Amino acid sequence: MIPAQISWERRRLAGVSGTVCDTPARRRQLEMSKVQTPVRRRRSLGIPFVLLTLFAIGSFSALADSFTSGFDGANKLYEQAKYADAAAVYEKLIQTGRASEALYFNWGNALFKSGKIGRAIAAYQEAQRIDPRDPDVRANLQFARNQVPGPTLPPDRLSRWLENLTLNEWTCLAAGSSWIWLCLLALLKWRRDLRAALKSFVVWLGWIAAALAVCLAMAFYSTQIVHHAIIVNPETTARQAPLDESQRAFTLNDGAELQILDQKDQWLQVKVDPRRIGWVRKVDALISPGT
Amino acid sequence: MLYFEKTVKRISSRLDWKWFRLAVLVVSSFCLVTWAEAATFTATLDRDMITLGEGATLSLSFEGGAPDNVPVPPGNPNLDVTGTGTSTQFSLSNGQSTSTMTYTFRLTPRQQGDYTIPALTAEVGGQKLTSQPVTLKVLKPSAPAQSAINSGSEMAFLKLVLPRKQVYVGETFTAQLQLHLHSRIQSISQIQLTAFPADGFSVGKMVEAQRRQTQVGNSIYTVIPVEVALKAIKAGPLTIGPVTFGLVVEVPSNGTQRDPFDPLGFFNRGEHRQISVATVTETVQSLTLPPENAPADFNGAVGRFTMAMSAGPTNVAAGDPITVKVQISGRGSLDALTLPDQPAWREFKIYPPTTKVETTDQLGVQGTKTFEQIVTPQNADIRALPPISFSFFDPEVKQYRTLTQPPIPLTVRSGGVSAAPTVLASSQGRQENSPAPAQDIVPNKQRLGTVAQIGPLLVQQPWFLVLQGVPLLAFISAAMIRRRADNLANNPRLRRQREVARTIEQGLHDLKRFANQNDSEQFFATLVRLLQEQLGERLDMPATAITEAVIEEELRPKGLPEATLNTLQDLFQLANLARYAPVKTSQELAALIPRMEATLAELRSLKV
Repeated sequence: MIPAQISWERRRLAGVSGTVCDTPARRRQLEMSKVQTPVRRRRSLGIPFVLLTLFAIGSFSALADSFTSGFDGANKLYEQAKYADAAAVYEKLIQTGRASEALYFNWGNALFKSGKIGRAIAAYQEAQRIDPRDPDVRANLQFARNQVPGPTLPPDRLSRWLENLTLNEWTCLAAGSSWIWLCLLALLKWRRDLRAALKSFVVWLGWIAAALAVCLAMAFYSTQIVHHAIIVNPETTARQAPLDESQRAFTLNDGAELQILDQKDQWLQVKVDPRRIGWVRKVDALISPGT
Repeated sequence: MLYFEKTVKRISSRLDWKWFRLAVLVVSSFCLVTWAEAATFTATLDRDMITLGEGATLSLSFEGGAPDNVPVPPGNPNLDVTGTGTSTQFSLSNGQSTSTMTYTFRLTPRQQGDYTIPALTAEVGGQKLTSQPVTLKVLKPSAPAQSAINSGSEMAFLKLVLPRKQVYVGETFTAQLQLHLHSRIQSISQIQLTAFPADGFSVGKMVEAQRRQTQVGNSIYTVIPVEVALKAIKAGPLTIGPVTFGLVVEVPSNGTQRDPFDPLGFFNRGEHRQISVATVTETVQSLTLPPENAPADFNGAVGRFTMAMSAGPTNVAAGDPITVKVQISGRGSLDALTLPDQPAWREFKIYPPTTKVETTDQLGVQGTKTFEQIVTPQNADIRALPPISFSFFDPEVKQYRTLTQPPIPLTVRSGGVSAAPTVLASSQGRQENSPAPAQDIVPNKQRLGTVAQIGPLLVQQPWFLVLQGVPLLAFISAAMIRRRADNLANNPRLRRQREVARTIEQGLHDLKRFANQNDSEQFFATLVRLLQEQLGERLDMPATAITEAVIEEELRPKGLPEATLNTLQDLFQLANLARYAPVKTSQELAALIPRMEATLAELRSLKV
């Protein structure tokens, strides 16, 4: 059974590529390497250090193996059409604090096959945040969205365009371009003879850096500042006020995407379009980003 | 006579302007009192008779004084009264002055008939005055005679063009009002629809169409067509009109006096006239819909329509919602369209539909109405969404037509059993060129891929944010260094000061070395060079021009301490002596270095 407020609310994957580099063993290894000791002392610690390193590598390999085997096991459950079980295993793996795009993707598939369209959409969105240009993720996210009946608020064209890159990629692009631009400006202060040759290049680079900074700001705003919700119950009633006794405003189905306008106690004020604004219970929705 | 003139001059020279002003004031007050005594109040209309759509001006004139309170003519629901302004007129005739204050009001009737402005009372200087009542006659507008129109003599006229004289109840059609304006009209303004009598019709939106020109008789007219959507709502002979428009036209003034600066009348601003135009009354026969052959599900839709339908998801558990989307497109009263009851849907729980109208024309009679209805299958035996039908009366072929969509296959599972949902299905044939929609999700990935720690975003990490300050600092540093370099380049004295400081620092090292080597000749040569450099820099003179003489000529007037001057003199003299008697011990040479350093320090502090 997946808890109502799944990890989608708070988890974000770091843009670190490569294998795991921040395990406790690795940290210990790094800390040890920083210790300043006399030459003789260092020599005497050489053997334990090597042993510790080997131990750390071994632990990491074991951890990675168990992670991979867990993933394979969940895949097997999925193939056996035990979708709910598979989804539970995928979720358990994600709860270890490590994840990959494939893990979120498969989790989304398992949830979708379990009939939990809202949660599946949330999982696909997480997968898309890690690898936004994966066509498989895009296809399944779109497919899941198409299955949602009734009112929903899919992302607009600008948001979809911004989602072509991860936030970390936007950050690197914006930071990199502004670094190069400022360094070039500094160089031109130093070497005036280069000014004529580089002037137009620097101007263009400045505009590009500014445009990338604006894109980063918009991407950050749309993913981190504006709060969205996905309905996870088959039929959720949006009410006109945050009370159970309040009149029904409209009905939302599993997977309906909404913009959160406000929240009060255990209620969220949501908007599907300018004419459909209502209050839904927090337990009926997943919130992004975590509020 | 001469005496009289002198007297007048004497009196006028004594007359102060202050007294003169006072006298004028007294005379004026007297005149005002005289006016107040003779004050009158009249109410007049610029025209007694107008046609509906035109306006009249009511003037309330007070002669001989201003009213304490301006009386406002009473209006009524069919007569708008609007104050338009105040004017004052002074006139002087035969030594008597009169003042007239006029308040004007615009009277705009909404219906034909007689309107009486009752007697109004106003108080002027404590005196109560009453105006006489005035009557405004408002005539029913009528279209000009056809012969007058055909002759081309009408300034403006209005035509009502109907597509046909027979319509059906519930049918929406488009009529056209054509406002014809003679080419003599320079401009028009304040166009206002003053009446649109159309009993038995629902009048919809009005949209101005493309203007054109046409010839009527021997005159050219500009035609302003205005399309209006009409819907017959009851049967029988129905009349439309006379539709009236009120407008202000500008026509060339036909005065005989020409402007001397514009003899050819190029800048003739013309005169403004308010006119009213009306159509003839048209009769339309509104027919009831034929009762024979009316389909059972007909619910009053009249027009020409097509229907499309889609539903999804089609693989659901019993009780799960299915969204049925029905789109009815065509021409007719879209707002009034409703989906008929579908008795075949009894095995479904039906929720009230949401509707959306998207029109494709400005009049709002053509477009698409979309019904989005949520239905939930009540049992797992349901195999299809039953066919949906929609009937309407087509007034062009004068027949009823029924549109039917085929059933949409459904897979309904019993509640609680989950299976893969399938794609939204459409009952319309898919176009051959359009890509086939996906039937299922993309299967699982078998490789775990790159595993990473879940952590905060790069942009939220403090070290990253701090790092972004590095290029900025580099730029600021470069800018500051460049500024210092520029300052140095633009200040030759500062540059020389720094060069001399470097030379002296190096020279003092050399002095110590020469003292150690007991090289008296080099020692004193360096000593003199350093003194010349430092003095030259301070006095802004070439170093080669510095001799012992500058001590008396330049330094003493600048107030250098006597001790320093003496030391400088000693050093110069020692250097001179050393040329002839160069032998000195290392200790003696070394002893001179502190004196030299102290002197140079004193010179550096010299203000020039």
